[in-house]
Amino acid sequence: MQTIMNSLKNLYRNRIFLLMVLPGALWFLFFSYLPMLGTVIAFKDYRIHRDGFFAGLMQSEWVGFENFEYLFSTNDAFLITRNTILYNFVFIILGLVCSVAMAIILSEIVNKRLAKVYQTGMFLPHFLSWVIVSYFTFSFLSVDKGVMNQILAWFGAEPISWYSETKYWPYILTFMNIWKGVGYSSVVYLAAIVGIDKTYYEAAMIDGASKWQQIRHITLPSITPLITILTLLAIGRIFYADFGLFYQIPRNSGPLYPVTNVIDTYVYRGLKATGEITMSTAAGLYQSFIGFILVISSNWIVRKFNKDNALF
Amino acid sequence: MAKAKKLLMMTFCLVMVASLVLTGCGSKKEATGGSTEGTAEKPVELIWYTIGTPQKDVDKVMAKVSEYTKEKIGVTVKMKMYDWGEYNEKMQVIANSGEPYDIAFTASWAFDYVTNAKKGAFLALDELMATKGQDITKNVHPSFLEGAKIDGKTYAIPVNKELPAQKVFRFNKKYVDKYGIDYKNVKTLQDLEPILAKVKAGEPGMYPLSADKQFKFGLNYDLISENLPIGVALTDTNEMKLVNVLEQPDTMKDLETMHEYYKKGYLKKDASTASSGDEMKTGNWLVDMPDTQPFADALWSQSMGYEVVSTPYTKPYVYNWSVMGAMHAVSANSAYPEKAVEFLNLLNSDKTLRNMINHGIEGEHFKRIDAETIEFLPAKTEGYDMPGFTLGNFFLLDKLPTDPKDKWEQFEKFNNSAENAPLLGFHFNADKVKSEVAALQNVKEEFYASLFTGTVDPKVYVPKAIEKFKAAGLDKVQAEMQLQLDEWKASKK
Repeated sequence: MQTIMNSLKNLYRNRIFLLMVLPGALWFLFFSYLPMLGTVIAFKDYRIHRDGFFAGLMQSEWVGFENFEYLFSTNDAFLITRNTILYNFVFIILGLVCSVAMAIILSEIVNKRLAKVYQTGMFLPHFLSWVIVSYFTFSFLSVDKGVMNQILAWFGAEPISWYSETKYWPYILTFMNIWKGVGYSSVVYLAAIVGIDKTYYEAAMIDGASKWQQIRHITLPSITPLITILTLLAIGRIFYADFGLFYQIPRNSGPLYPVTNVIDTYVYRGLKATGEITMSTAAGLYQSFIGFILVISSNWIVRKFNKDNALF
Repeated sequence: MAKAKKLLMMTFCLVMVASLVLTGCGSKKEATGGSTEGTAEKPVELIWYTIGTPQKDVDKVMAKVSEYTKEKIGVTVKMKMYDWGEYNEKMQVIANSGEPYDIAFTASWAFDYVTNAKKGAFLALDELMATKGQDITKNVHPSFLEGAKIDGKTYAIPVNKELPAQKVFRFNKKYVDKYGIDYKNVKTLQDLEPILAKVKAGEPGMYPLSADKQFKFGLNYDLISENLPIGVALTDTNEMKLVNVLEQPDTMKDLETMHEYYKKGYLKKDASTASSGDEMKTGNWLVDMPDTQPFADALWSQSMGYEVVSTPYTKPYVYNWSVMGAMHAVSANSAYPEKAVEFLNLLNSDKTLRNMINHGIEGEHFKRIDAETIEFLPAKTEGYDMPGFTLGNFFLLDKLPTDPKDKWEQFEKFNNSAENAPLLGFHFNADKVKSEVAALQNVKEEFYASLFTGTVDPKVYVPKAIEKFKAAGLDKVQAEMQLQLDEWKASKK
């Protein structure tokens, strides 16, 4: 009784904070936790039932891991896993380097008005859908009318059929990803940099530290916790490929599949005709499960080095 | 720590309660399906999902339709449209989540009929058709009804329209006249060569053979699924031996021809990734290969805004996919299945209803000229431009002043002229090999577009494709198909 009274009192005392948390908590409850019950579909042979979704769910047969098989059964399984992980790995590392560098440069620009212009300019691609971006790239890479081939022709070189040569695509895809993402993430880092206490820099300057030394010994260490957290979160999504990037930008061109097929596009292509929700659920569950393990283990590694930087 | 645990418990309880409440809401709806409803005084509402670009006057027209059907059979109609590109995905979700609806458009190319029927999305209609839908059996061509059967049961009513599929060579009249092309003598893909060469020489900037990533030339095989290269030869009506189409010499010959054409610049360079033909709008093309129907030339010329002519390419055959070009299914969880079938019955027999649904409201969307002829008014194109073939029986439709008098008789003749393709009525059940099928789809996507548009050399890429298909389990799928096919063949005799 005593404990219940205490916890009620506790609730009442914190009512303002709890009220502030409520909308977010409800959102998570309804859109993230409740649907999780649906993952059982991945282990069932789902049949539509005349009494609706839940009846269908209850009465469908259990099939174990059968729905996961197609993800592992072919030679493509290795290819798509390799592509997904390697691309995302490069995206995380390069994205981190580029956006931190950009954030530092932006913060060092003296003319603040100009800095805002650059920042907005870099931010803009973030708002464009990949479908639109794919037409931009097409205008560059089109075989007969593309800008790139016209430049090549001007130099007297042979035109390249971009959409069937695999060797260029790892670079093109990486470039497009960085181009689209760097503005957004550099703003996050910029906010952290602006928040660093100015007195550190003043003290360093009095001691005669050069700009480079200030960046190395003050700016970077101060934003390390943020870098770690954002990187950990990115690692959690390493098994999710950006569908738009890998499907729209190469215009779904068949000859490019060896370098553009990733888990998400594979699942889409395999199931779009039949719309088998059990198998797509299985793919999603598999991706989240691997992501979960990766986050936990990398967080564990971070804790080994520095407890303060870890996510939890 | 204890507090955290308690909070966790509480959250969990909340989740459970919330899900119970939601389930409760979900199951309450069925109770409303009473049998006393469905009269003119107390009509029931049928929800009808259909495909096409949403039109602004749909609700207005359906209100008028409802007035009519209320009197006749005691139903009102609520039509919901989804655009061509999104219908398939939207309907998958609606069907899987058990959202209530009564009638839905289904076909081999959108909201896949066979797959969804086998998953249990649709109601088997045979019994209801016997009691409430006699006019359907009377008015719809028997080959349609036969082809719609899955394991002996009918899950959807096909739209009664042109039955067989036949590819034609379609020519842009402008260039036919300019270069004096004897298009009537083109019979094969190879016959096109001199014509294409001549036009390419005269119009160096133009790509005379119009093709996009969907492009396919006429195959001599009846495929089990559009997405797999497995089928039987159209001439093989007895033995029904499944073969890999890519391994056949006649397919290879056509693929090589396409590659020749591509290299000579007859096709645009990005044909294998192009999604739609802009050249159809500009008229900068000479020839392509669509499926035809009676009076197609006039229809095409009208919709493109310039004249086209065509000559037959493949023989007309009744395929599974041509039978399933447009159908109406009744949802398995429809609250009023009887009323839905009654409505479909009316749609297949009642001229007033059928024309209202197709053309809109008289005086607003169309003007009547005589008993069988109407004329469109501007409001039709603006607010009610519906794709007629998705909506119901063609043969009840009024004609336009430009239509030939014997339009429907010609359709009838076309329907009766065709042979049945060997696999008509056979539907493969992919349950046992669905992992393989998913993997095979990826291989198909990888190779089809570039092979069929001739973008890559078939001598190199066909063996590559075959090898990948086999690695993805094609042999297993083919064996399973052959097994089911043999059973089906035995059951038919």
